[in-house]
Amino acid sequence: MRGDVRSRRVAVVPDRVLNPLPSAPDELGALERAGWGIVALGSPDLVPAAREAWLEGIVEQVVTFLDDDYEVALAPGDDAETQEFVRALAAAGRSVTRVFGSDPFGVRP
Amino acid sequence: MCYLAHCLLNANSKVDEGARSPGVSLPVVSLLRERGCTLRQMPCPELAFAGTRRFWAVREQYDTPAFRAHCRKLAAPVAAQIRADLAAGHRVVVVGIDGSPTMGVELTAASDDWGGRPDKLRDEDYPVTPGPGIFTETLIELLDPARPQVRIVGIGQDLFDYDEQRELAKLAQLIPDGGAADAG
Repeated sequence: MRGDVRSRRVAVVPDRVLNPLPSAPDELGALERAGWGIVALGSPDLVPAAREAWLEGIVEQVVTFLDDDYEVALAPGDDAETQEFVRALAAAGRSVTRVFGSDPFGVRP
Repeated sequence: MCYLAHCLLNANSKVDEGARSPGVSLPVVSLLRERGCTLRQMPCPELAFAGTRRFWAVREQYDTPAFRAHCRKLAAPVAAQIRADLAAGHRVVVVGIDGSPTMGVELTAASDDWGGRPDKLRDEDYPVTPGPGIFTETLIELLDPARPQVRIVGIGQDLFDYDEQRELAKLAQLIPDGGAADAG
């Protein structure tokens, strides 16, 4: 057996963290080095047929982590996907109280 | 477009003692990024159904109408988005987890007598057999008739003899520079 190496730290992040622009800082690498796993929100280009159910699946997973006392943090963002997630999580009776600062890992120039 | 098994970006979704990293499997992600892939994270079918404290199960333990309905609910938006990506002219690859009872692609965990109290050590005894996991199987059904256009490959993170370099080489071979793999 390998022992349990799960960090129990989960960051909910917008798509730009998973798929950064070429000139953008590597926030995913910084999260990995700090031991965080990520739950990536759907990208803005999700088709309507996928969007709602995609978000529903994400909310169910985050609720599971929250209810089992995993540390869950939210990347800051005023993008529509993050706002939709916050609203859907609230509708499920949960919230993520920890929100990263604008550059929590010092990767922005 | 690369659709990744959830745990490749979040090992916290793995079963107890099943994770191979604290969080992100960065070598896999880095390889795919280098190849020009846009990444999408699929849901973990086991996490929200059985929780974070579940033990390592086999297909037969998950093969219930309720779990198959759960997989169908999760796989439906993935299949819809894959079809949209294909229609937009993208090449699509799905990266699962070989050895997983749910996310396996070529290898899954299956046994008629596995169950009950988990008194066997996972690595040596986990009963891996050829075939897909239940979520992968469901996704394949939902993709029909577009299935032949999608490459589906498994990373063997749930195998006893997991060799990261070997698995990365396999992935690199399937995904040439410049984007997701040709179907096959």
